[in-house]
Amino acid sequence: MLIQQIGNNTHQQDCPSKEISYAKIFWTFFRVGLFTLGGGLAMGTVIRYELLLKNKWINDNDFMSEFSTATIIPGSIAVNIAYLQGNRLRGRMGAATAVIGTILPSFFIILAIVYFGLPYFDHPKVVAFFRGSALAVAGQLAFTGFIFSKRLLVKWRNLIICLISLFTVAIIGLHPIWSLITAAVLGYFLPRKNNRTPIQPSG
Amino acid sequence: MKVIIELIISFIIIGSGACGGGLVTIPLIQHEMVSIRHWITFDEVARLLAIAQMTPGPIAINAATFIGFQIARITGSIMATLAVIFPSLIILLSLTPLLKNIKNNEKMKRISQGIQLGVLSLILFAIWSFGWVVIKSWLDLLLAIAAFLMLIIFENRVHPVLVIVLCGIIGLIIY
Repeated sequence: MLIQQIGNNTHQQDCPSKEISYAKIFWTFFRVGLFTLGGGLAMGTVIRYELLLKNKWINDNDFMSEFSTATIIPGSIAVNIAYLQGNRLRGRMGAATAVIGTILPSFFIILAIVYFGLPYFDHPKVVAFFRGSALAVAGQLAFTGFIFSKRLLVKWRNLIICLISLFTVAIIGLHPIWSLITAAVLGYFLPRKNNRTPIQPSG
Repeated sequence: MKVIIELIISFIIIGSGACGGGLVTIPLIQHEMVSIRHWITFDEVARLLAIAQMTPGPIAINAATFIGFQIARITGSIMATLAVIFPSLIILLSLTPLLKNIKNNEKMKRISQGIQLGVLSLILFAIWSFGWVVIKSWLDLLLAIAAFLMLIIFENRVHPVLVIVLCGIIGLIIY
């Protein structure tokens, strides 16, 4: 992926040199859809595990950049990131494969629940299990936050941008999109020193 | 037939308005389903959200499948699910060719790094608001922190879902 960024004539290429099969894309995103609780931002941990640690399809910088693109585009983050990744690996067909893989588990699980499972959701044992796993979801959110912080909060400038956009959503209580817009505007206008991280060569 | 078209329109609106992840979808669903369409009551929304949180996958998809089923059985499920992802697919389809070209643009890089910081602030806010709901005692806090530490320590050796299952089992024992 790194080479793709550096090379000027290679970045037009749609897929990496070694083709990844549709079945593999489908199965990877099927697991993303199946193994995530809590939705949206909490899914970051599993998506990162599947795409970055397990399959090595992206690096941490690309992951954060694509996760952010997926967040700012309307709709479910997981579906958006599935589209972006699938598209990068195998073009539009890859994107379709990844999106279908992501939504199928939810779809069938919910159908199974409305057909058979609804009464069980009030059972105290089930409630206790989900109370425990909800705490793990909180831990996952914290973990995604940790990954982002470790990479991004390395400069005072970034910390300030982050705090101001946190202010818009947490203190003023605006819609989350304003937090993203605020951060984008600040990121554009606040000056930054000319030291670049070695991973992101100038384009 | 009319109800299915209304269902599709509602979920297209939900799909195009939800920006920033599952927690944002929830007020939109409430607004569309309860205040405008009167399809379900507030109590049902609360129940639906509990189920959507407890079941795997994106909350918007879970909610669409669930509400679609309440309104028009299996047809409703399929239509609502497709409708809720339709807006993002159209946006992505038209945007991805552009994304490639602007990726190496210096101005776009600054904007995109800004957005990453915005996403981080949303994550921090989600930790706060979600934590506020689920953490009710010191024991809860301890378990959440333990889950966080497990994820850090076993970063690339253990699938994150195992941490969720493990915490569920611990919950089963202690609550």
